[in-house]
Amino acid sequence: MKVKINTKEREFPPGTKFIQVVNIIREANKDDPVTRSLIEKTGGDHITFILNGRIVRPPEYDSIELKEGDDIRWIHPYAGG
Amino acid sequence: MKGVWGKVLKVDLTNGTCKAEALPDKVYEYFLGGAGMAAYYMWKECPAGTTAFNPANRLTFAGGPMTGMKQTGAAKWTAGAISPAFNLNADSAATASFGIEMKETGYDAIVVHGRSEKPVYLVVEDGKAKLKSARKMWGKNAYETEDMIKDAEGGDFEVVTIGQAGERLVRCANIQTRKKSFLGRCGLGAVMGSKSFKGIAVRGSQNCSVHDPAEINRLNKEINRKVAELDAAQPEFLQFKRLGTAGATQLFAPQGNLPIKNYSLPNFPSGEKNLHGTEYVKKLNAKPWPCKYCVMQCHNLCEVKKGPYAYKGKGPEYESFAMMGFNTMVDDIEAVAYACELANQYSMDCISLGVIIAFAMECYEKGVISQKDTYGLPLKWGNAEALVEMTKKIGERAEGLGYLLGEGCKIAADNLGKGSDAWAVQMKGQEIAAHNWRAQYISALNYCTGVAAGPNHERGNSQHIWVAHVRLPEWGISEVKNEERWSWENAPDRNAKFHDYCNVINSSCHCKFHEFRGYTLTDLVNSINACTGWGWSTDDLRKCGERITTLQKLLNMRYGWKKEHDFQYPKRFMEPVQEGPAAGKIPVGLDEAIIDYYKVREWDENGKPTPGLIKRLGMEEYT
Repeated sequence: MKVKINTKEREFPPGTKFIQVVNIIREANKDDPVTRSLIEKTGGDHITFILNGRIVRPPEYDSIELKEGDDIRWIHPYAGG
Repeated sequence: MKGVWGKVLKVDLTNGTCKAEALPDKVYEYFLGGAGMAAYYMWKECPAGTTAFNPANRLTFAGGPMTGMKQTGAAKWTAGAISPAFNLNADSAATASFGIEMKETGYDAIVVHGRSEKPVYLVVEDGKAKLKSARKMWGKNAYETEDMIKDAEGGDFEVVTIGQAGERLVRCANIQTRKKSFLGRCGLGAVMGSKSFKGIAVRGSQNCSVHDPAEINRLNKEINRKVAELDAAQPEFLQFKRLGTAGATQLFAPQGNLPIKNYSLPNFPSGEKNLHGTEYVKKLNAKPWPCKYCVMQCHNLCEVKKGPYAYKGKGPEYESFAMMGFNTMVDDIEAVAYACELANQYSMDCISLGVIIAFAMECYEKGVISQKDTYGLPLKWGNAEALVEMTKKIGERAEGLGYLLGEGCKIAADNLGKGSDAWAVQMKGQEIAAHNWRAQYISALNYCTGVAAGPNHERGNSQHIWVAHVRLPEWGISEVKNEERWSWENAPDRNAKFHDYCNVINSSCHCKFHEFRGYTLTDLVNSINACTGWGWSTDDLRKCGERITTLQKLLNMRYGWKKEHDFQYPKRFMEPVQEGPAAGKIPVGLDEAIIDYYKVREWDENGKPTPGLIKRLGMEEYT
């Protein structure tokens, strides 16, 4: 099953849950200095996940099952010039 | 052609004349508008040998095809000219409502040249234009001037003005509108001053027809929803509408990206505490002050009600906050905000000013200047009073140090000598903005190779790959590892793409900050297509970016750029800091990366566009 993550196509087995992708992205970013700092200071990484153009709230992560062609984007918290 | 008028207003200040001029469609298809339009007029009308303060210098104010489409972020507009800071092609963008109103007068751009014998301002209303005396405004600050023009012409005119710094040719003088938005970089306010040109007032009621109004409505709703929802999903201390860009200090500190003590220190704990976003909201009473149609609302109206730094007005953005606060080690948030507001009123760029004052503080610390030179001020690191007073002295070009520093830190260092050039954090004459080269080497490459507006963080914002996690997947920048901050491997290619990206953004006239909330190149090209009907792909958009970059390069060659200028970078960044996230990191290998950048760009070993590139882009007539 093909799913896009920030426009790049990735292969996942059918039945993959949204939370699994969330965990992959979080793991890949855990050493990022901003992420690390935010986790230390606030307990969370504050990465926002978007599925097919709609923001997914944390309580929904577990219940969503991914489908062929889903488009996932994730946005890092940021403000700056 | 849809989305533009195909017409610009030409203003000759020497002869006091204004006339309309038609532009062929191809100019828009090649260079869009905004920064591209400014470069086009420079190419067309500014011969070799023209310098910033020469009457022949063309100062172009331009919107783009998206101006007026009522999309969040599409209130941007650009001005361009030869810069007084580095005497090469330059442009700078601002927002608020001036660009939209200018387009509603029936012109895509206003191109100004010549020099008036007496101070004047320009009034443009629905196709009619007239120059008027600005004698009573000369000597007034930029905000007072805006008030005087509105009193004379009507409060619903949109106005741009300069203050005393522009009149007195401070090389980092800016141009302001609505007391909140600034053409900050490159000293374009001094170009206005050199022409005895104090301001422009525009009012219009004409709507430019667009290709697909229904698609524009659909896109606007979709993009508004996405941007607003994403901002709302962030915790309060990261929301744009609460903090603006000033909240970045808390995110940049863990990356070693902040400029501290004239870029010599890795951290500044009291600054991180006192110049923090939460203090910004609490002590400055920051409230959103949005630009027209914007749902992100990053501009703030601040108010300090009492004390020596009481003021009500524009809240500092990240760059101002970082350069005037962290870089001078002044951690009094009210003093920093007040000094920034003073700079705004004099019409000075807070980025350059923060570097210049930090440079002066280092000169003072090392004995190159003394209290005799500083008007009796102890110009020590962290001295809030000195920050405020030096801002005034430079804005007024007070005799002595204030006058010299108004020339920028390169010329100041040349005059002061005693090794002070090592502390002048500038390149080609323009001071470096608040992104530390040690935190991501690509910033160094951007500054060395940028052609749009000299060394400039906003004309090749490749630092955002790391500091903002911005990607350009449509152009092949997708997954990037944190460790690549300190690698040159992909830096030339990424840097070239970000240079072109900035050029299409600043020429279509959209706000780059929307990229932080998911606005993509696809959104941008869809919006341009809905306005113009061109049917471009994102690859077509890249080609347009390449054309604008190439034209700017050709202009710089015309005005005296030489290869060695790209290699004369600030010595400060070759001194490592000893601790913090970027400890021991200096951009070794930069020289080779510059050459690699030339190759990626299809420039020859001397940094000049190859005939093959010119042919591929269809730009033979521009060489």
